[in-house]
Amino acid sequence: MRNITASPASSAPAAAPAAIPVRDQLGLQMRASHVLMAVFVVAAVAFAAIGAAIGDTFFLRLATEALIFAGFALSVDILLGFTGLLSLGHALYFGFGAYVSALVLKETPSFWLAIGAVLASSLVAGFITGLVANRVRGVYFALVTFGLAQVVAKAVYNTRELGASDGLIGVPIVPINLGVGTLMSNAPAAFFLFTLGFVVVLYLIAAYLLETPFGRILVALRANESRVPFLGYSTRSARLAAYVLASVIAALSGALYPMLRGFVSPELLFFSTSGNAVITVVVGGVGTLAGAFYGSIILTVLKSVIGTMTEHHLIVIGLLFIGTVIFLPKGLMGVVRPWVMRLLGRRAS
Amino acid sequence: MTAFLDYFQFVLAPQMITGLSLGVAVVLVALGLTIIFGLLDVINMAHGEFYAVGAYLALSLGFAGVSFWLLLIIVPAVMLPLGYIVERGLIQRVFNKPDRHVTTLLLTFGLGLVVEDVLKVIFGGNTQRPPTPISGAIDIMGVLLPNYRLFLILFGLAVIAAVALVVNRTRLGAVVRAAAFDRNMAASLGVPVSQVYAGTFAFGVALAGLAGVLLAPVFSVFPTMGRDFIFLAFTVVIVGGMGSIMGTVVAGLLLTQVQALSSLIVSPVWSDPILFSIMVLMLVVRPQGLFGRLGHA
Repeated sequence: MRNITASPASSAPAAAPAAIPVRDQLGLQMRASHVLMAVFVVAAVAFAAIGAAIGDTFFLRLATEALIFAGFALSVDILLGFTGLLSLGHALYFGFGAYVSALVLKETPSFWLAIGAVLASSLVAGFITGLVANRVRGVYFALVTFGLAQVVAKAVYNTRELGASDGLIGVPIVPINLGVGTLMSNAPAAFFLFTLGFVVVLYLIAAYLLETPFGRILVALRANESRVPFLGYSTRSARLAAYVLASVIAALSGALYPMLRGFVSPELLFFSTSGNAVITVVVGGVGTLAGAFYGSIILTVLKSVIGTMTEHHLIVIGLLFIGTVIFLPKGLMGVVRPWVMRLLGRRAS
Repeated sequence: MTAFLDYFQFVLAPQMITGLSLGVAVVLVALGLTIIFGLLDVINMAHGEFYAVGAYLALSLGFAGVSFWLLLIIVPAVMLPLGYIVERGLIQRVFNKPDRHVTTLLLTFGLGLVVEDVLKVIFGGNTQRPPTPISGAIDIMGVLLPNYRLFLILFGLAVIAAVALVVNRTRLGAVVRAAAFDRNMAASLGVPVSQVYAGTFAFGVALAGLAGVLLAPVFSVFPTMGRDFIFLAFTVVIVGGMGSIMGTVVAGLLLTQVQALSSLIVSPVWSDPILFSIMVLMLVVRPQGLFGRLGHA
């Protein structure tokens, strides 16, 4: 973040550094993320148009799943990128949302009822577990979130009422009433576009909240936690709010999963799911929000391309991940975004 | 009364002995984990995979005709340079970044994924089991105890005692503890801190490899064996106190008894949730664990 702050001054050598009006770097970063998201949405709509034109089902559904996992990764980025807290058990909320959604849909196949139930229950669940997890910092936070997720995952795995190791199967096709019309969750292109809209709304909500003073407290927390209380802000409530926000976004993304696949399984709660989201965010770019989306597409493409050649895609993904951590600690968007910021900054001045 | 004695002889005691041998094994794996954390502040997510590598080395060398007793020396000796290379080549690269905890955790997590899949490529996904090096069983006061388990417990305890002795009573251990307590002060007193780091990491990895050799005949060998086992080791390390050798031993033996007895009383499938609940509770109530950390008396 420090070197980004310095970059616009160096990119506009015509003006002396002191003459440049004080510009909001964090706001500029967020605007750059919006530009990257806009590019993403345009590409996704084009993809859907091509897919629908050639009557594809497989790739559209795969891409829908990538979007759902992008929404999940977005929530991990809120924690890791903005509060600096690494959650190793965030699949807890993703899986929670998926299970709640599946349970509701099996009773009444109503989209908005399922979303409402997931929203309300994940607010409560995120708040309660957030109180537990936020008692500790650093590695201990990673381990507490990991432990919490393990407890719940194993409990679900053992509970016959929740389908035990098989999960819940037979989630019906859901009609989604959008006011102007109704689409079905089994229509590949329509549901892809709907999912795109859904996760983009999640992105916009997160981006908006992170731009408010609340978001700035999180950034301040990350920079120097012990100084923030002296400025009169509560670190505890800001941290808890970020945690609840991340939980709700993960759960809402998870809520779409049973609509796409027609089932949920305990794997959605496992450590591998949490780990995947962390890989997605790190490869895409920590703290950029848009990175979660690009990262998810990269991973999905890699998995399906390598998957056609060998079943050992983890070697490639693991090496890519190690390489990113060492050589590109800000991820793909960490490279692209400063570039967009320079373009935006030049236009503004 | 006789009913209880029968229960003790045929159910409770064997279960507790199985728990004890698992406990000693977990402590061996967890010791490396806790020493690495205590000194380097690194959560080694790949530690379970090093344990698996040790087991696979033992398996393949064993099939090649190397005797089990030699393996107890050869495998740790091979793992030492491996750990050294990983520390120098990977961990040192990100070691001085501001959020070292997160970065090194991510790095070792990625390494674990790669190693696990490499093991799958080389050895296939099937479960294999080397022959038990010591057969037979002895009868201790009516309780049947397989000889190999007895050996595992005694040998493991000896290794644990040796590690504790080296760390707490030798000059080398004093150097390690000094580096863990204050690396800058240790460096200014002439301790080659970066060498101590790499050496300690290698030592932890070698311990994991040794645990792999010892446990292969008991728990079999499969590519994901590390991942399954490391969760338990993490729980032990957290409950005992990250970086504390004493804590690891106490927590390891205690928690495996909890696991053994809870699978009798409740059900084996619920022993994992119980253990992880203990871990979460411990982190919330007393994050530093039962005992303090290495170098911090």
